[in-house]
Amino acid sequence: MMVPVRCFTCGNVVGEHWEEFDERAKQGEEDPQEVLDELGVDRFCCRRMLVSHTDLVDVVSPYQ
Amino acid sequence: MTEAYDVEFVERGDRNIRFLVRGVTPAFANGIRRAMVADVPTMAIDEVRFIENSSVMFDEQLALRLGLVPLTTPPEGEFAEDDVVTLSIDVEGPGTAYSGDLVTSDDLVRPADENVPIIKLKDGQRLEAEADAVLDRGKDHAKHQGGVAVGYRHLQRVTVGEDISEFEEQEAQIIRGVIEDDGELVLTSEFDHDLSERYPGKEVHVEDVPGAFVFHVETDGSFDATDLVTRAVDTIDSRAADLEEAVQL
Amino acid sequence: MSYKCSRCKRDVQLDEYGGVRCPYCGHRVLLKERSRDVKTVPVE
Repeated sequence: MMVPVRCFTCGNVVGEHWEEFDERAKQGEEDPQEVLDELGVDRFCCRRMLVSHTDLVDVVSPYQ
Repeated sequence: MTEAYDVEFVERGDRNIRFLVRGVTPAFANGIRRAMVADVPTMAIDEVRFIENSSVMFDEQLALRLGLVPLTTPPEGEFAEDDVVTLSIDVEGPGTAYSGDLVTSDDLVRPADENVPIIKLKDGQRLEAEADAVLDRGKDHAKHQGGVAVGYRHLQRVTVGEDISEFEEQEAQIIRGVIEDDGELVLTSEFDHDLSERYPGKEVHVEDVPGAFVFHVETDGSFDATDLVTRAVDTIDSRAADLEEAVQL
Repeated sequence: MSYKCSRCKRDVQLDEYGGVRCPYCGHRVLLKERSRDVKTVPVE
Protein backbone atom coordinates (compact mmCIF):
# COMPACT_ATOMS: atom_id res chain seq x y z
CA MET A 1 0.00 0.00 0.00
CA MET A 2 2.26 2.84 1.26
CA VAL A 3 6.05 2.53 1.50
CA PRO A 4 7.24 1.00 4.78
CA VAL A 5 8.58 3.71 7.07
CA ARG A 6 11.58 1.67 8.13
CA CYS A 7 13.63 -1.20 6.78
CA PHE A 8 12.21 -4.46 8.14
CA THR A 9 15.66 -5.86 8.85
CA CYS A 10 17.83 -3.08 10.23
CA GLY A 11 15.34 -0.36 11.21
CA ASN A 12 16.83 2.37 9.06
CA VAL A 13 14.30 4.98 7.91
CA VAL A 14 13.76 4.35 4.19
CA GLY A 15 10.34 5.99 3.71
CA GLU A 16 11.79 9.47 3.29
CA HIS A 17 13.69 8.43 0.16
CA TRP A 18 10.73 6.82 -1.57
CA GLU A 19 9.35 9.79 -3.48
CA GLU A 20 12.69 10.75 -4.98
CA PHE A 21 13.52 7.15 -5.80
CA ASP A 22 10.11 6.62 -7.40
CA GLU A 23 10.42 9.76 -9.49
CA ARG A 24 13.94 9.14 -10.69
CA ALA A 25 14.27 5.38 -11.00
CA LYS A 26 10.75 3.97 -11.34
CA GLN A 27 9.00 6.68 -13.40
CA GLY A 28 12.21 8.12 -14.78
CA GLU A 29 15.00 6.52 -16.73
CA GLU A 30 17.80 6.60 -14.19
CA ASP A 31 19.63 3.49 -13.02
CA PRO A 32 18.13 2.39 -9.67
CA GLN A 33 21.56 1.39 -8.40
CA GLU A 34 22.98 4.86 -8.91
CA VAL A 35 19.93 6.57 -7.43
CA LEU A 36 20.12 4.42 -4.29
CA ASP A 37 23.83 5.13 -3.93
CA GLU A 38 23.19 8.85 -4.19
CA LEU A 39 20.36 8.70 -1.65
CA GLY A 40 22.70 6.99 0.80
CA VAL A 41 20.72 3.77 1.02
CA ASP A 42 23.76 1.53 1.31
CA ARG A 43 22.76 -1.81 2.77
CA PHE A 44 21.02 -4.38 0.62
CA CYS A 45 18.30 -4.87 3.23
CA CYS A 46 17.25 -1.23 2.89
CA ARG A 47 17.69 -1.24 -0.88
CA ARG A 48 15.27 -4.10 -1.38
CA MET A 49 12.62 -2.16 0.57
CA LEU A 50 12.56 0.53 -2.12
CA VAL A 51 13.32 -1.59 -5.17
CA SER A 52 10.59 -4.14 -4.48
CA HIS A 53 7.88 -1.72 -3.40
CA THR A 54 4.79 -0.84 -5.44
CA ASP A 55 2.40 1.88 -4.32
CA LEU A 56 -1.12 0.46 -4.24
CA VAL A 57 -3.01 3.33 -2.59
CA ASP A 58 -4.24 4.59 -5.94
CA VAL A 59 -5.46 1.11 -6.85
CA VAL A 60 -7.52 0.58 -3.69
CA SER A 61 -8.77 4.14 -3.25
CA PRO A 62 -12.05 3.67 -5.22
CA TYR A 63 -13.17 1.00 -2.75
CA GLN A 64 -14.09 2.66 0.48
CA MET B 1 38.56 3.24 39.35
CA THR B 2 38.03 5.03 36.11
CA GLU B 3 40.16 3.72 33.33
CA ALA B 4 40.89 5.83 30.31
CA TYR B 5 40.21 4.23 26.97
CA ASP B 6 42.03 5.15 23.85
CA VAL B 7 39.40 6.31 21.35
CA GLU B 8 40.18 7.45 17.83
CA PHE B 9 37.67 8.56 15.21
CA VAL B 10 37.94 7.16 11.73
CA GLU B 11 34.80 8.73 10.30
CA ARG B 12 32.62 11.29 11.97
CA GLY B 13 29.24 12.57 10.85
CA ASP B 14 25.98 13.45 12.57
CA ARG B 15 24.24 10.15 12.13
CA ASN B 16 27.15 7.99 11.12
CA ILE B 17 30.41 7.46 12.93
CA ARG B 18 33.24 4.95 12.92
CA PHE B 19 35.70 4.92 15.77
CA LEU B 20 38.47 2.77 17.18
CA VAL B 21 38.65 1.76 20.82
CA ARG B 22 41.75 0.14 22.25
CA GLY B 23 42.18 -1.85 25.42
CA VAL B 24 38.70 -3.36 25.80
CA THR B 25 37.67 -7.00 26.01
CA PRO B 26 35.34 -8.50 23.37
CA ALA B 27 32.69 -8.90 26.08
CA PHE B 28 32.78 -5.21 26.91
CA ALA B 29 32.70 -4.23 23.24
CA ASN B 30 29.61 -6.38 22.77
CA GLY B 31 28.08 -4.91 25.91
CA ILE B 32 28.34 -1.42 24.43
CA ARG B 33 26.86 -2.64 21.17
CA ARG B 34 23.90 -4.25 22.89
CA ALA B 35 23.33 -1.20 25.07
CA MET B 36 23.23 1.01 21.96
CA VAL B 37 20.60 -1.17 20.34
CA ALA B 38 18.38 -2.04 23.29
CA ASP B 39 19.06 0.14 26.30
CA VAL B 40 19.10 3.78 25.26
CA PRO B 41 15.72 5.46 25.88
CA THR B 42 14.28 7.04 22.73
CA MET B 43 11.16 9.07 22.02
CA ALA B 44 8.48 7.44 19.87
CA ILE B 45 4.73 7.69 19.46
CA ASP B 46 3.01 5.12 21.64
CA GLU B 47 -0.68 5.95 21.48
CA VAL B 48 -2.75 7.60 18.76
CA ARG B 49 -6.24 9.08 19.11
CA PHE B 50 -8.03 9.21 15.77
CA ILE B 51 -10.57 12.00 15.46
CA GLU B 52 -11.13 11.47 11.78
CA ASN B 53 -9.68 8.95 9.38
CA SER B 54 -11.39 8.54 6.04
CA SER B 55 -8.23 7.33 4.29
CA VAL B 56 -7.87 3.88 2.73
CA MET B 57 -5.77 2.56 5.61
CA PHE B 58 -7.03 1.30 8.95
CA ASP B 59 -6.42 3.27 12.15
CA GLU B 60 -4.11 0.55 13.45
CA GLN B 61 -1.95 0.60 10.32
CA LEU B 62 -1.60 4.37 10.47
CA ALA B 63 -0.81 4.21 14.18
CA LEU B 64 2.07 1.85 13.47
CA ARG B 65 3.38 4.09 10.68
CA LEU B 66 3.26 7.11 13.00
CA GLY B 67 4.98 5.11 15.73
CA LEU B 68 7.90 4.21 13.48
CA VAL B 69 8.65 7.84 12.57
CA PRO B 70 11.87 8.78 14.40
CA LEU B 71 11.49 11.67 16.84
CA THR B 72 14.31 13.75 18.23
CA THR B 73 15.06 12.75 21.80
CA PRO B 74 15.83 15.54 24.28
CA PRO B 75 19.12 15.53 26.22
CA GLU B 76 19.40 13.16 29.16
CA GLY B 77 17.60 14.35 32.27
CA GLU B 78 15.15 16.62 30.41
CA PHE B 79 12.41 14.02 30.46
CA ALA B 80 11.51 11.24 32.83
CA GLU B 81 10.53 7.85 31.52
CA ASP B 82 6.77 8.37 31.83
CA ASP B 83 6.54 11.94 30.52
CA VAL B 84 4.27 12.44 27.53
CA VAL B 85 4.64 14.78 24.55
CA THR B 86 1.60 15.30 22.35
CA LEU B 87 1.85 15.61 18.59
CA SER B 88 -1.05 16.27 16.28
CA ILE B 89 -1.63 15.85 12.58
CA ASP B 90 -4.41 17.26 10.45
CA VAL B 91 -4.23 16.82 6.69
CA GLU B 92 -7.00 16.98 4.14
CA GLY B 93 -6.87 15.45 0.67
CA PRO B 94 -6.02 15.64 -2.12
CA GLY B 95 -2.39 15.36 -1.04
CA THR B 96 -0.05 13.31 1.08
CA ALA B 97 0.31 13.42 4.84
CA TYR B 98 4.00 13.54 5.73
CA SER B 99 5.77 13.05 9.03
CA GLY B 100 6.67 16.74 8.76
CA ASP B 101 2.97 17.58 9.16
CA LEU B 102 3.11 16.44 12.78
CA VAL B 103 2.76 19.48 15.03
CA THR B 104 4.48 19.07 18.37
CA SER B 105 3.63 20.50 21.77
CA ASP B 106 7.30 20.55 22.82
CA ASP B 107 9.98 21.74 20.43
CA LEU B 108 12.54 19.34 21.87
CA VAL B 109 10.56 16.45 20.44
CA ARG B 110 9.79 16.72 16.74
CA PRO B 111 10.04 14.41 13.73
CA ALA B 112 13.69 13.81 12.83
CA ASP B 113 12.81 13.07 9.21
CA GLU B 114 10.14 15.27 7.68
CA ASN B 115 9.71 13.52 4.37
CA VAL B 116 8.29 10.17 5.38
CA PRO B 117 4.93 9.68 3.64
CA ILE B 118 2.31 8.53 6.15
CA ILE B 119 -0.69 8.17 3.85
CA LYS B 120 -1.81 9.42 0.47
CA LEU B 121 -5.19 11.14 0.69
CA LYS B 122 -7.66 11.42 -2.16
CA ASP B 123 -10.20 14.17 -2.71
CA GLY B 124 -12.41 14.54 0.38
CA GLN B 125 -10.40 12.18 2.56
CA ARG B 126 -9.05 13.48 5.82
CA LEU B 127 -6.71 12.42 8.58
CA GLU B 128 -6.96 14.10 11.94
CA ALA B 129 -5.25 12.54 14.92
CA GLU B 130 -3.45 13.23 18.15
CA ALA B 131 -0.50 11.14 19.27
CA ASP B 132 1.32 10.66 22.55
CA ALA B 133 5.08 10.17 22.42
CA VAL B 134 6.84 8.51 25.33
CA LEU B 135 10.39 7.63 26.29
CA ASP B 136 11.20 3.91 26.21
CA ARG B 137 13.90 1.41 25.27
CA GLY B 138 14.67 -0.67 22.20
CA LYS B 139 14.17 -3.73 24.37
CA ASP B 140 10.44 -3.09 24.51
CA HIS B 141 9.72 -2.05 20.95
CA ALA B 142 11.85 -1.60 17.84
CA LYS B 143 10.45 1.92 17.35
CA HIS B 144 12.45 2.97 20.44
CA GLN B 145 15.66 1.66 18.95
CA GLY B 146 18.01 4.61 18.48
CA GLY B 147 20.91 2.69 16.97
CA VAL B 148 20.54 1.25 13.52
CA ALA B 149 22.90 -1.46 12.28
CA VAL B 150 25.39 -1.01 15.10
CA GLY B 151 28.41 -3.28 14.88
CA TYR B 152 32.09 -3.67 15.49
CA ARG B 153 35.06 -5.46 13.99
CA HIS B 154 38.55 -6.18 15.11
CA LEU B 155 41.16 -3.73 13.93
CA GLN B 156 43.33 -5.62 11.45
CA ARG B 157 47.05 -5.18 11.23
CA VAL B 158 48.59 -5.57 7.81
CA THR B 159 52.23 -6.51 7.35
CA VAL B 160 53.74 -6.52 3.91
CA GLY B 161 55.93 -9.52 3.17
CA GLU B 162 58.08 -10.42 0.22
CA ASP B 163 57.36 -9.94 -3.45
CA ILE B 164 55.33 -12.72 -4.98
CA SER B 165 57.22 -14.80 -7.53
CA GLU B 166 57.23 -13.69 -11.13
CA PHE B 167 55.10 -16.52 -12.51
CA GLU B 168 52.48 -16.48 -9.83
CA GLU B 169 49.23 -14.71 -10.44
CA GLN B 170 48.11 -12.38 -7.68
CA GLU B 171 44.78 -13.29 -6.15
CA ALA B 172 42.30 -10.81 -4.78
CA GLN B 173 42.44 -10.63 -0.99
CA ILE B 174 39.18 -9.24 0.28
CA ILE B 175 38.86 -7.78 3.77
CA ARG B 176 36.40 -5.37 5.29
CA GLY B 177 36.63 -2.84 8.07
CA VAL B 178 39.65 -0.80 9.00
CA ILE B 179 43.28 -1.80 8.64
CA GLU B 180 46.33 -0.56 10.48
CA ASP B 181 49.32 -0.05 8.27
CA ASP B 182 52.40 1.24 10.11
CA GLY B 183 50.21 2.95 12.68
CA GLU B 184 48.02 4.59 10.03
CA LEU B 185 44.30 3.74 9.99
CA VAL B 186 42.91 3.05 6.53
CA LEU B 187 39.31 2.25 5.63
CA THR B 188 39.14 -0.79 3.37
CA SER B 189 36.67 1.01 1.10
CA GLU B 190 39.54 3.25 0.04
CA PHE B 191 41.07 0.38 -1.94
CA ASP B 192 37.85 -1.42 -2.87
CA HIS B 193 38.22 -3.87 0.06
CA ASP B 194 40.97 -5.66 -1.88
CA LEU B 195 44.47 -5.78 -0.42
CA SER B 196 45.98 -6.73 -3.77
CA GLU B 197 44.90 -3.30 -5.04
CA ARG B 198 46.84 -1.52 -2.31
CA TYR B 199 49.91 -3.75 -2.36
CA PRO B 200 50.29 -5.06 -5.90
CA GLY B 201 52.90 -7.76 -6.30
CA LYS B 202 53.43 -8.23 -2.56
CA GLU B 203 52.61 -10.91 -0.08
CA VAL B 204 50.40 -9.52 2.64
CA HIS B 205 49.68 -10.90 6.09
CA VAL B 206 46.64 -9.85 8.06
CA GLU B 207 46.10 -10.38 11.77
CA ASP B 208 43.62 -9.11 14.33
CA VAL B 209 44.92 -6.58 16.84
CA PRO B 210 43.95 -7.89 20.27
CA GLY B 211 41.67 -5.59 22.28
CA ALA B 212 41.19 -3.10 19.48
CA PHE B 213 37.70 -2.72 18.02
CA VAL B 214 36.37 -0.52 15.27
CA PHE B 215 32.74 0.40 15.93
CA HIS B 216 30.37 1.48 13.24
CA VAL B 217 27.40 3.36 14.67
CA GLU B 218 24.42 4.73 12.79
CA THR B 219 21.37 6.36 14.34
CA ASP B 220 17.83 6.85 13.10
CA GLY B 221 18.08 10.59 13.75
CA SER B 222 16.89 10.58 17.37
CA PHE B 223 20.25 11.99 18.45
CA ASP B 224 23.83 12.33 17.23
CA ALA B 225 25.74 9.09 16.89
CA THR B 226 28.34 10.25 19.44
CA ASP B 227 25.47 11.00 21.80
CA LEU B 228 24.16 7.46 21.36
CA VAL B 229 27.50 5.96 22.34
CA THR B 230 27.88 8.04 25.48
CA ARG B 231 24.28 7.38 26.52
CA ALA B 232 24.79 3.66 25.96
CA VAL B 233 27.86 3.69 28.17
CA ASP B 234 25.89 5.62 30.80
CA THR B 235 23.18 2.96 30.83
CA ILE B 236 25.78 0.25 31.40
CA ASP B 237 27.22 2.35 34.20
CA SER B 238 23.88 2.83 35.91
CA ARG B 239 23.00 -0.84 35.56
CA ALA B 240 26.31 -1.81 37.09
CA ALA B 241 25.63 0.58 39.97
CA ASP B 242 22.17 -0.97 40.45
CA LEU B 243 23.71 -4.42 40.54
CA GLU B 244 26.31 -3.37 43.06
CA GLU B 245 23.61 -1.98 45.28
CA ALA B 246 21.48 -5.11 44.91
CA VAL B 247 24.20 -7.54 45.99
CA GLN B 248 25.27 -5.52 49.01
CA LEU B 249 24.49 -7.27 52.26
CA MET C 1 -28.84 2.68 13.77
CA SER C 2 -27.56 5.03 11.10
CA TYR C 3 -26.49 3.75 7.75
CA LYS C 4 -25.85 5.15 4.31
CA CYS C 5 -27.34 3.75 1.15
CA SER C 6 -24.58 2.69 -1.24
CA ARG C 7 -26.62 3.70 -4.35
CA CYS C 8 -28.34 7.00 -3.49
CA LYS C 9 -25.82 7.99 -0.73
CA ARG C 10 -28.65 9.12 1.56
CA ASP C 11 -28.68 8.56 5.32
CA VAL C 12 -30.96 5.73 6.34
CA GLN C 13 -32.46 4.95 9.74
CA LEU C 14 -33.26 1.26 10.22
CA ASP C 15 -35.76 -0.17 12.68
CA GLU C 16 -36.50 -3.78 13.46
CA TYR C 17 -39.65 -4.00 11.26
CA GLY C 18 -38.60 -2.46 7.97
CA GLY C 19 -35.93 -5.00 7.01
CA VAL C 20 -32.64 -4.08 5.35
CA ARG C 21 -33.72 -1.78 2.56
CA CYS C 22 -33.29 1.87 1.64
CA PRO C 23 -36.68 3.62 2.00
CA TYR C 24 -35.83 6.12 -0.75
CA CYS C 25 -34.55 3.95 -3.60
CA GLY C 26 -35.17 0.40 -2.44
CA HIS C 27 -31.51 -0.59 -2.64
CA ARG C 28 -30.54 -3.44 -0.36
CA VAL C 29 -26.87 -2.57 0.18
CA LEU C 30 -26.32 -0.25 3.14
CA LEU C 31 -23.01 0.98 4.53
CA LYS C 32 -22.44 1.54 8.21
CA GLU C 33 -20.99 4.96 8.94
CA ARG C 34 -17.86 5.39 11.03
CA SER C 35 -18.65 6.38 14.60
CA ARG C 36 -18.04 10.01 15.56
CA ASP C 37 -16.14 8.95 18.68
CA VAL C 38 -12.44 9.51 19.05
CA LYS C 39 -10.77 6.12 18.74
CA THR C 40 -7.65 5.41 20.78
CA VAL C 41 -5.20 2.99 19.24
CA PRO C 42 -2.00 1.77 20.90
CA VAL C 43 1.02 1.44 18.60
CA GLU C 44 2.00 -2.21 18.55
